[in-house]
Amino acid sequence: MKIEKEEIQKIVLSLMLFAGVIYCYFTFLLGPLSTAQAAGEAKIHTLEPQIADAKKQLQKTADLEKKAPVSSKALEQINALIPEGAPVAWFPPRIAEFFKHEGIDKALTRLNNEFPEKELTGFRKLVWSVDIPHVEFVPLGMALAKLENQEPLLEIMNVSVEAMKEDPQYQHATLTVSTLVKQ
Amino acid sequence: MALHINLYHEIQKQELARRRDPLKLGMLGLLLVVIGFVAFYFYRMESVHLLNVRIATLETEWKKFEPKQKAAKTREDELTQNIKLSDLLTKRIESRFYWAPILDEVLQNVPREVQITKLAGDLAIEKGRPSVLLVSGISSSAAPRKVAEDLRTALDEKLAENFEKVNSRFNSLDDTEESVTLDGKPCPTATFAIEFQLHNSAPEPTPVPARKKVAAQ
Repeated sequence: MKIEKEEIQKIVLSLMLFAGVIYCYFTFLLGPLSTAQAAGEAKIHTLEPQIADAKKQLQKTADLEKKAPVSSKALEQINALIPEGAPVAWFPPRIAEFFKHEGIDKALTRLNNEFPEKELTGFRKLVWSVDIPHVEFVPLGMALAKLENQEPLLEIMNVSVEAMKEDPQYQHATLTVSTLVKQ
Repeated sequence: MALHINLYHEIQKQELARRRDPLKLGMLGLLLVVIGFVAFYFYRMESVHLLNVRIATLETEWKKFEPKQKAAKTREDELTQNIKLSDLLTKRIESRFYWAPILDEVLQNVPREVQITKLAGDLAIEKGRPSVLLVSGISSSAAPRKVAEDLRTALDEKLAENFEKVNSRFNSLDDTEESVTLDGKPCPTATFAIEFQLHNSAPEPTPVPARKKVAAQ
């Protein structure tokens, strides 16, 4: 079979047309689709971990919420132990009243120092000296036991009990105590 | 035998040539390829459409979760801070050093031959350092030094029950020229100062000590 020149021209023309169609197909039809698919997949890869993180965060917070009431209650109880106002206004009378209640008439309290509490946000430590000029050892020991049990935010840093020369039955006691108060 | 002569052979040849026309066959092939391409295009379009639907769903979900996540993060920070603060405060309260039980031990272990003249306790501020208890007094008996030593040993043993380690030593133990009357007999006296170093764990808080005997009289 012999292909004529005119037919060869037609075939070449058809092939050129076909090549053009193929080019247009890939460039103008499949190209944008591929770009859109790549962008979409990238977006999904971004969104999925974000949503997973959000769900984890919600779960974590929910777990914390379960623990929180115990801590909040403890914190509330601790805060309730600290009266409002300047500590120098309420702490010395409170100590004097406490010792008076324990049968120790005189207890002088003075503020010695003040330290910030780095770990305990919202709190500071105050150091006081409590001078008890005339006390018997046993009532003092009983009062200190009660004080240590009754005042959880108070810690006795130093205790000194010295017999009075003129009256050996009685002692002169000095305490250095620290307390936590609100900022 | 009959002779068969095909008088249409030229017509049939032309018909065959027409059916095997390469241009026609090529056009048919091309058409098939085009149909395939169109089908593939629609398939791809559907894939992208499904992807877009999924993105839209995820975006809606994210829009729902994003503010919740921010609120949860803020709440978490707040709760964590509260829990941490509460734990630290509780730990601090529970690890306090209690002096009353120590005074109670002193009270219960001082014999009648001893008069305590001074008692001083210092809480260790730095971690790892011992708290210190100083007990000074006068002992009186036929052997006042032995009485003082017995007091040191007794207190050492008692305090060791509540602390991981207790070191005790005499800072001073001196005979004095003074004598006291004990049970109607004059007895020599000695002054002493004992230092107790109390290491690590402190004793648990005890109830108010019972009134047993007066230590310093």
